[in-house]
Amino acid sequence: MDDRYSRQILFSPIGKNGQDKLASKHVLMIGAGALGSGNGEVLTRAGVGKLTIVDRDYVEASNLQRQQLYTEEDVREKLPKAVAAEKRLKAINSEVEIVSIVGDASPEMLEELVRDVDVILDATDNFETRMAINDISQKHKIPWVYGACVGSFGMSFTIIPGKTPCLNCLLKRIPIQGMTCDTGGIIGPTVQMVIAHQSAEVLKILVEDWEAVREGFTSFDLWRNQYTSMKVGKAKDPGCLSCGDSPEYPYLEKDNLSRSTVLCGRDTVQIRPPRQSEINLADLANRLASLGYGVKANPYLLSVEMGEQRVVIFKDGRGLVHGTKDMSQARSIYQRLLG
Amino acid sequence: MNKVMFFAHLRDAVGEESVSVDLTGKTVAEAKAILSEQHGINLETVMTAVNEEFAGDDDVLSDGDVVAFIPPVSGG
Repeated sequence: MDDRYSRQILFSPIGKNGQDKLASKHVLMIGAGALGSGNGEVLTRAGVGKLTIVDRDYVEASNLQRQQLYTEEDVREKLPKAVAAEKRLKAINSEVEIVSIVGDASPEMLEELVRDVDVILDATDNFETRMAINDISQKHKIPWVYGACVGSFGMSFTIIPGKTPCLNCLLKRIPIQGMTCDTGGIIGPTVQMVIAHQSAEVLKILVEDWEAVREGFTSFDLWRNQYTSMKVGKAKDPGCLSCGDSPEYPYLEKDNLSRSTVLCGRDTVQIRPPRQSEINLADLANRLASLGYGVKANPYLLSVEMGEQRVVIFKDGRGLVHGTKDMSQARSIYQRLLG
Repeated sequence: MNKVMFFAHLRDAVGEESVSVDLTGKTVAEAKAILSEQHGINLETVMTAVNEEFAGDDDVLSDGDVVAFIPPVSGG
């Protein structure tokens, strides 16, 4: 299939030279939900050398509206997303080496995986993992591309160690109660717009066209017709613990991670967030109720039915996930609610 | 006077895309406190852009500055 990449090679910023570079590069993609599906497909069709995919979830019916790699059969078989993605991507392009890992992208796992990686693509659904990616990226001097969306609102930002500010410079700490697709909904076009921004940035990085890499923090609302690009140059903080003069990589430390424990004999996992914060329970309860979840709330806690599990969230952010002993599944369910 | 713009769920909570309010001489942190109070929203971990440029909590606002509150979202 000599013709396979001809149209991409005709695009002069890539060319034959760029195509050869793509074929020699390795992308680590964390997450294989909506952003992971689309980004994975773009990069596989574009002919990257190797794509490693990490995801801890399995395919569910509510994914099919926007997660383009998955089918009804994947739902029936309850296939792990990483496995279903690998199968589909290999069918699309057998020349690309696809490696799938079913599991939680912990700091330990990231340390193992980044050794020969050229860029990290963020397709996660929570800030805890993103902050760990951010620290790993700084520690090993590997660029990463942040992307996220909810409703019709999306955002993306490219982090180049040593050049741009990092996510910790911009956010200072993990935002709690970040809106998620499970609390704010999501439409397909928003996902596609974020994918377009992220995958274009990854292609620029892989062909080493550093001049072309976007510098601003982009956000947009496709329904309200807003598009903004925020300049961030002066946000770079020399005192930042992730990318500053004396980095400590705080989000690779166990103390700053949410802690989950299986509660003995109760078929329940307890999750403690990395920092205490007051959750607006009434607001969260109203939002979940309006989405059709069974919710009960009082001033101290709320209880919500999530399929076969029931989740109790306390005002200080602590969560109990009933109906499972699987810590990874419990964290996934918890982070769907609180981001 | 200053134009203040809200994005994502903040816009839903405020009920409008933007409001006009005098924040001249106030820091970004003070502006956040005033608007949180007025509209019952939480701006604690929201990014602030002033005239389309990232602004820290200590930055001081001038007359005519356009302020935008951009909440980081986590869906993916």
